[in-house]
Amino acid sequence: MIPNDKSMRKRVHDIICRCEEITEREIRHAIRQFNLRTADEVKRLTRAGMGLCQGRTCALLVEKIISEETNRKVSEIFPSSTRPPVRPIKIEFLAKKEEKES
Amino acid sequence: MNRIADVVVVGGGIIGCSVAYYLAKKGVKVIVIEKKKGLSFGASGANQGGCALQLFHPPVLELARPSLEIYRNLSQEIGYDVDYENTGSLVCSVDEEQYPDMQKHLEKKRRQGINVQLIEGDRLRELEPTLGGDVVAGVEEREGGIMNPFKVNYGFAYAARKLGTEFFLSREVKKIERDKDRITSVVTDREKIGTNFVVNAAGAWASQIGKMVGISIPVRPRRGQIIVTERLPLNKRWRYILDADYLTTAFDLAAVEKSEDPRIRLGVAGSYVQENTGNWTIGSSRDFADYTTRVTMQTIRYLAKRAARFMPKLKSVNSIRLFAGLRPFCYVDGLPILSRLNSPRNFVIATGHAGEGVTLAPITGKLISELITEKTTSISIDAFAFSRFKGLN
Repeated sequence: MIPNDKSMRKRVHDIICRCEEITEREIRHAIRQFNLRTADEVKRLTRAGMGLCQGRTCALLVEKIISEETNRKVSEIFPSSTRPPVRPIKIEFLAKKEEKES
Repeated sequence: MNRIADVVVVGGGIIGCSVAYYLAKKGVKVIVIEKKKGLSFGASGANQGGCALQLFHPPVLELARPSLEIYRNLSQEIGYDVDYENTGSLVCSVDEEQYPDMQKHLEKKRRQGINVQLIEGDRLRELEPTLGGDVVAGVEEREGGIMNPFKVNYGFAYAARKLGTEFFLSREVKKIERDKDRITSVVTDREKIGTNFVVNAAGAWASQIGKMVGISIPVRPRRGQIIVTERLPLNKRWRYILDADYLTTAFDLAAVEKSEDPRIRLGVAGSYVQENTGNWTIGSSRDFADYTTRVTMQTIRYLAKRAARFMPKLKSVNSIRLFAGLRPFCYVDGLPILSRLNSPRNFVIATGHAGEGVTLAPITGKLISELITEKTTSISIDAFAFSRFKGLN
């Protein structure tokens, strides 16, 4: 399935997203299979960046891989959307009644 | 740059990609236009991927049933695993007050020919240990399921692309040109595409495309918010679990607007799916906030509170992501619009699926492809005709 070119031969088994254990190989494969252009799409289809840290560790690496695969500069890659919460937060805390909010 | 297609599909969501796939399968040359940088950026990418057949009423039930049939073999058909699981569903109640409604619901579903059964008390917790002691009764149904909506969306796109469909991303439709009652071309910010048909599958944005051909499509964005938790050990797969209030919040806009309960007014009713990765998604909510996709703490709080009551084990679990999406909601009657217009006569509408777009995507694609290539459809879509909005147009 994986094209046997230079970029794929080197270190394709390195884990890029540590939370979800997604390898460079899986990310490159998804980009090629589905013509992905954005970090959000890579996240949704491979789960890289969907784990506990929400891409805070791997986002830049993922963007770098997309830039290589699509022959664009990293600065041209649309970054993954950041979503609340900034840190994981327990459901019971979210459920607490508001103190003051109007 | 000038291009030619048999059909231009506006919108790269789950509906647009399904339509493209079924058309391409019949040898039709399709170009899909999507204004975002990728696919699945609207409601298709912001939902829980659950389908509970017992939530559907006629006439939409007549679409949901065959659509679920297609899902059973969809992964094989398109050559990509969409993580479909036939889990069935359980609509349950934490309230003695909801109980008469549950009885009514049960009887109604039996009359509609859905195989449902009532499960009460501790029997529920034997079957689904995650359910809290407050849950008093549940109606179980076995035909529903869960699937990965991104994978369905991209899977249809992948299969369509293999059959020759082209996807033009980051393109906005600027103009739809016509010659009398026939559309001749679609003009984007980058090219002009000559075409025999246009399919408006723009979801919550469908009314903007409608305006370009001079019609008013009564669809507006209805926001839904979701909490995603960290991974937990995968539960023994049982059912897609819903709160009995879902029957009101999703399907009875008048009751929502009249309600004195602020939770109901925000459309909050529990909807719980544990994905095959172990993450739980907690929905659901419905409000109108134009095109904003921000989450609001008030709604998140109600979602979390409700979850803590239905599934107390989730209380000590971390949420890692909160997000919102926009469902295409037909504010006249809440039903989908699947229709070919009289004028312009080569304009087809496929939107208004509200919270049921994932469930209905396969059958929608199939029927729209028939509407375009065969003139008649294998299942009647008269109930979804655009002509029902007589006063508006």
